This record gives sequence, structure tokens and C-alpha cells, in this order.
Amino acid sequence: MSFLLQPEIVRYQCTCGSLKPISRIYFCRHCLKIRCGYCVCHEVSSIRCINQTIFLFGSYLALKLMCGDFVQADSHYCGNCLENLPSAEARLKKNRCAACLDCPSCLNTVSTRSTNVAAQNPDDPSKTVTRKAYYLACGFCRWTSRDAGLPDQTVATGGWPERENVHAARLSSLLEHYKILALRERQEKERKKFIPRRSYLHFSDKFGLTAVMARKRAGLPPLGGVGLKDDAGTIPELNPSEAVEEVDSLPADIYTEPVSLSQVTTLAQRLAQPEFQTELVSDLFPAHKHLMIKRSQRCRSCEHNVSKPEFNPGSIKFKIQLAAYYHVPEIRIVTCEPLQVDKQGELIIKLCNPTQHQTTVHFLPLSSADDDLEETEKETENKIKMEEKDAQKTSQGRDDVSILLPSLSRQMYISEDPRPVNVKLTGEVILPSLPVVLPPRDDAAEYDDSGDTYHFQDDPKVVVWRKANKAAVKMVVIPLHSAVEAGEVLVGFVMKYTYVNTMATLEQKEPQKVDLKVKVYINVGKTVGSCN
Amino acid sequence: MPLYEGIGLTEKQAVVIDIGAAYTKFGFAGESGPRCIVRTEVKCPETKQVKKVLNYSSKEDLYDLLVEFIHTLYFRHLLVSPKDRRVVVVESLLCPTLFRETLAKVFFRHFEVSSILFVPSHLVSLCTLGVSTALILDVGYVEAVLIPVFEGVPVLHAWQAQPRAAQAVESSLKALLLNENSEKEDFPDSTIEDIKVRTCFVTSFNRATQLEAVQPPPDVVYREGGTDTFCIPGKVREAVHEVLFEQDNDQTSISTMILDAIIKCPIDMRKALAENILVIGGTAMVPGFKARLRDELKHLVQQPKYASRLALKTFKFHKPPAKENYVAWLGGAIFGGTDVISTRSLTKEAYVKHNKVPDWADLSYNCWEEKMSL
Repeated sequence: MSFLLQPEIVRYQCTCGSLKPISRIYFCRHCLKIRCGYCVCHEVSSIRCINQTIFLFGSYLALKLMCGDFVQADSHYCGNCLENLPSAEARLKKNRCAACLDCPSCLNTVSTRSTNVAAQNPDDPSKTVTRKAYYLACGFCRWTSRDAGLPDQTVATGGWPERENVHAARLSSLLEHYKILALRERQEKERKKFIPRRSYLHFSDKFGLTAVMARKRAGLPPLGGVGLKDDAGTIPELNPSEAVEEVDSLPADIYTEPVSLSQVTTLAQRLAQPEFQTELVSDLFPAHKHLMIKRSQRCRSCEHNVSKPEFNPGSIKFKIQLAAYYHVPEIRIVTCEPLQVDKQGELIIKLCNPTQHQTTVHFLPLSSADDDLEETEKETENKIKMEEKDAQKTSQGRDDVSILLPSLSRQMYISEDPRPVNVKLTGEVILPSLPVVLPPRDDAAEYDDSGDTYHFQDDPKVVVWRKANKAAVKMVVIPLHSAVEAGEVLVGFVMKYTYVNTMATLEQKEPQKVDLKVKVYINVGKTVGSCN
Repeated sequence: MPLYEGIGLTEKQAVVIDIGAAYTKFGFAGESGPRCIVRTEVKCPETKQVKKVLNYSSKEDLYDLLVEFIHTLYFRHLLVSPKDRRVVVVESLLCPTLFRETLAKVFFRHFEVSSILFVPSHLVSLCTLGVSTALILDVGYVEAVLIPVFEGVPVLHAWQAQPRAAQAVESSLKALLLNENSEKEDFPDSTIEDIKVRTCFVTSFNRATQLEAVQPPPDVVYREGGTDTFCIPGKVREAVHEVLFEQDNDQTSISTMILDAIIKCPIDMRKALAENILVIGGTAMVPGFKARLRDELKHLVQQPKYASRLALKTFKFHKPPAKENYVAWLGGAIFGGTDVISTRSLTKEAYVKHNKVPDWADLSYNCWEEKMSL
């Protein structure tokens, strides 16, 4: 919890260059890189069950074409009733819940209320019977569906009238018209590209003979009979909009009638339903509740999921959650001596090994900026080369028209440039020269109070305290003059730690030990005392 | 309706975005209205302050703001993955190159969209009418921009732009209110916008000429923050939009923009343009705006300045099948709902190859010889 509420004191540098606390970064176990919310690929998570037989088809295309067997269930759900909808249905419903409605006035969820109303008995008009009637009411702003003039319903759920866009028919005819125009244009373009000029007949007009006559003489079928001309269909008649001289003028009583603000809708209320934008409160109409989604995050370079929530909207658990918190040694500040400019101050940090394997932590100074720059430059150069190659491969010289659907052709991968880290260090740090070994995490050790026996040969100048998988490490901070202006002392170093990669790949089945580096920035605090 | 969308055989529905200075319209191509109209602003994750996307300080700043903003649009409002989906961007012809290129970079590099189709807002607005000639006046937040379109071709040299739009109205409203309520120090922008939308209107031409003499409309008591109330004088309600129509030292106003543009057009176009006026943009939704504009035009055309040069008698206005504030978006949605999106888009491959966004102002794209060779 402290992670969520505390200011960002210890920040790790993500591969993309942004600085984030450990609770907000991911660790991709496949490419062993740190990722954050900025540099992963967010997507609407979906569950796909693939029919096994698809894999029998070798080619990619065949696999794609057999995709009818994908059972795809995106996790769209309603935040109110927690019902989830398959993506196709959610799309048809325009991402709105079928059952829940929002108050058009305050945009909270409305609830259904029931009352008894007296109605005439159809058999005996002299008697009345009571029956239940349902209406909508908002518990926050007291808006009811009766305010909007909606008749009460006899059933508790559903049945509320829907509002249609008054221009719907006109818009669909416009769309139809332009679709055919565009199709024509496309066909003409393609015809120009693929069909060579037909014989000499197009010269015939030059000599006073129409093409038709020439064809007739040559005994050829008349032009256009091959079905090229009219396969786009005729362009349907569209009545273009008529401009009129008359425009809506102001109502005459606007100069005399007092305005009641409670009767005029606010801009937020209007824009909540863009197609209607009613101006009077009495015309407000309840809207179906907007759905929400569960998102999964995917590493951009290796395309593995780093975070994938459980499908059920009620569950807050994850199927895959590669948070850095479970893989990268965590750093916290234990104590720090008062910081004075140009004076050494002792800083004690606590290291914690979250993994099931022993790790060795080295501390290195931040590699000088030049090295960094060179490295990124080299990477960028390589990337650009790769992209160019990719672009040529995918487009094959054709860069204006992509005939294949994008989902059928292989998508090339282009990436973002790494962002430069724009923080200014305001302190120097003297790091311990010796590595620190951290034993693996052992949940039982938390409860074991019997003597801690360690067989680590720790230098007491470096490790001041140790328990289970945690160790406190001493280092020295020297604030610079710039710390006074900046208001805080920011120090940075590189933490190198050994990581045991247990991911089995095709090449290697055994766990592998690798050394990984991460840049850490610590905000140690304010300086005390005057600087002169 | 593509029921099988996203499983390989059909193309995913494209999204259409129209980023305005105040509000952004976002939705799917081929639909009758945008899914959302939201403020073009983001909450900065570090400082927790709300910042307008268009108030960027540098290219990098704009990039971060756009990433943050578009991310919320996709995952809060449209609920689709941006990856490998086409995008239609409705933009003004006068859009700054920096903004355009950064937007393309954000879409291609960060969101990995498969293609972008840039469409000029004035031109595609005509798709909502089914006509090919009109004079389009877009009165938005920062400025009013006018571009005539004749037979589907924007008449660029007749363009007009004036900073007479919602922002000017709001600052004039703020000044007038501060003048009337001397105990107030400042009004938040949201309050000013709310007052403008709910109480103000554009007065008629006859009354505007004698604003001091006529009986002002009733005052409105505005409640702020629960207990605090202050008075909005009727005079302010009526006079605040005058800033759009008053002629300044250069003798220009919204109405002269139309006439000036018509004068700049060849004589054969003039009648057609005057009889096909389309007014779009959120500010054009103010009650009384169009009536005032028409009366102003009728009056101005009889003034000696214009009477000697224009022989126009009638001005006709189109009524688009949508609310004025999303007409340009709707045009983009109709245009992008057709096959054009696959033939005219800038694909990811082309973008990576040239690392450039084609632009009409760039002669390497907008040149006849180039066109021939391409």
C-alpha cells in the first residue's frame, strides 16, 4: 500500500527511458528487460480458444482463413451489473450495457423504482385494480423518467424506448452514395494500372470514326460489354442538400422571458449524448451505461504478455502479472544523515530479493552520459536499418496502395525511440565496492525468530544489517550545490544483479544465470543548513 | 455490419478523430455520430494538473500529451485496441506542420496503427450535404476559418481566418462580468463557459444597432459552488457575442470574412458560393447566430464598400444533418467509411520508408511533375 500512496522516492529507469517506482514497472521474463505502462502495448484483452486442427495447415494464410474457429471473447463488461459481453455483441450495442441506464442529468447510474398505480379493471369499469408500475429514478440528483415524460413500464427490466438519430436515413443514403463513388474510383485506378491499352482502336477517333463504328466494322462486341464498366452498379440518386434563405431565428420571448438555469442543460449533459445534445432539461433522455474493458499489456519487442487479467469481471486477479516487484531487487531508504552541501552523509538502504534464487548485487556508478548516448545512437541506427528493410520487404516497392487487408499481411514492427532521461543529479554517491549477496526469499523465515546464522562474509562497513532475504547497505552521499536550488538531493547508480532465468526456451531448457543492470535514482531528501 | 471483425477476413472498423482546440470528437467511421466529445486536455501524471493538449511547449511535450490523451480516448471511450487499425484524422488545412507530424508519429510509433488518412475538415464537411460547392465557415474555439470549396476543390487563396470564436467571446464575457461584479477577482474558465452556453445568445441585427437604447433581457442569478450567487446582467447576456460581429479597425468581422472571400473568388463562382453557405463549429450553435449572420450579410452587401464590387442579392444557408459541432467529424466518418480509406491512406510502410507525412504545403508532394512520376 505504501507504494501507492508514497511519493516517488526510489525510481528505476525503464528500458524506454521513463523513471517509475518499482510498483509501476513490469519485468518481461522473456526478453529480461524492464517495461513500463508507457512502452508496453496495451490491448483490449481477449481470450482465444483455437481449434487444434488449424495447426495442421502449414501456411500462415490458411491459418488466418480458418480463424472462424477462433472463439473470441473480449472482456467488455458493464461496471454496474458486472456482466460481460462478447466483443461482437458489445460492438453491435455500441459499447453500451443493455440493462443499465445512466442518469442524463448527473451521469450516475439510475435505479428502477416501482410504485402501485390504480388502473381500471378491464372487465368491470367501475372497479379499479392496483398494479405495479416501474419508473427510473436517480438517487443522486432526483431525476426521474417521469420528468422526461417517459411512460411508466409494466416490467421491471428493459422496455425503455430508444431514441433514434433523426437524420439516420439521410446519413445512410449519403454513406451509400459515397461508398459507390469510392468504389468506382478504386476500380478505375486499378483498371489503369493493370489493363494495357487495347489495340489501336483508341486512335480511331482521331480519324473521324467513333470507336463504336470501328468495333462494328471489325466485328467486335461493343465496348463495355465485358462487364468492366458497370460492375460498380449505378450510382444511386442522391438529393443534394438544398440551401435555404430562412434560418432558425431567435424565439421572440428571449428578450422578455427570465431564464431558469435549472431548465437549461449544461454542456457536459449535452455532450454526454453527442447525437442529440438536448438544450432543455425536460428533453433529457436516459442513456445506456457505457461499458468498460479489461486491458492486457504486451511487451512490444517479444510480444509476450506481461500482464493479463482474469476474464471474469468480478475478479481482480491476474493470469499473468510480470511485475518488476517479483523479479527485481527492491530498494528502500532506511535512514539518512542530515545532508549538507559538500559534506558526506551516510545513507542506508535496504535491499530485498523477491525471487526464489540467490542473487548478488553490485553497485556501479551511472555510466557516463557519453557512453549512454553512443549506445542509444547505435541502437537507433540499427533500428532504422531494420525498419527500412522491413518496409521494403512488406511493401515490395508499392507504398501507396495496400490491397491486402492489414490483418492478412504480416505487420511490420516499428518502434518508438527511447526517451532521454531528463533528470539532473544533485548529489554524488560513494558506492560500496563489494557486492552484496542476498539469499532467496523464504516465506517461512519471516516467522523464524531463532538465531540468524549466515555464512556470508560481510564487510561490516558495507552491510550493516541482515535478515532472511533482506540486507541493509551503507553508502555515502555528497550533495552538490545545485541541490539547494532543486530543493532535493537526487543521486543515481547502476544496480547490477544476477537473475536466474527459469523460462524454458527451445534452445535452452535449463535455468540460466544472467547479470542484469538497472539504473536507480534515489531522491534522498532536502539539504539542511546554509550552503556558505 | 462486420460481425466477424478482427478475425482475419474483414477489415477492422476505422476510427475517426477530430482534435479541436477545446473539444475532441472521436468515433468510428461510417457511424452517424461520434462516440464521444471530450475536452482536449489531459491530467499530467506527475503534477496532477489538467493541461490543454494544444498548449504544448515543445515537440516532446506535445508528443507526451498526445500519447496520454489518445490513450484515454481509445481505452475509455472506444474500447478497442489501436494496433493495426486505420485512423482518419480530420484536420484543418491550416494545421501547423509540427502538430501534424507529431500526431502521425504518435499514431504510428506509439499506437502502431496501420494507416492514417488525413482529410481537410472544410472539404469533408461537404460529404454531409452531398454537394460539391459551398463556402464553409468553421467557427471553433480559437479562430474562425473560412475556406470556399468549388466543385470539390478548396479555393485556397480565398481563405480567411480571424481570432473571433469561442475564446474571444469567453474573454469578453469574463471582462464584462468582472466589471459588473466588482467584488469578484476572477472566474474559472469552466464557469465562464457554462454561463456562455446556458444564458447567452446572439442578439438580432436590429437590436444590435441600438443596444444602448433597447430594454435589456432579464438578469440571471447564477449560483456558484452551492452558496455563492452573483448576477449576470441581461445586457451582458445579449452583448457578449457582439465581439464576433463588431468590425475592428481593419473593418473585419465574421460577416465580412464571407464577403471578402467571395470577392477573392472568380466572378463565376460568386453566386454559387453565396447561395451555398455552410456554417460549422461549436460557436455556430449559439441561439441566433445564423440569423444574425444572414442579416449582417444582407446589410453589408448594400454598403458602398461591397455594393460596388458584389452584385449578390441572396445568401442561402445549408442545414447539415448533424449538430454543428461535429459536422466536420461526420464528414470524415462518411468519407472514411468508404473504400477511399484503403486507396488514399498513408500506410505505415510508406511512413517508415520516407519518414515524412505528405502535406499540401510541401512542394515535393504537391507538384505536378512529382505526381506524374509517382
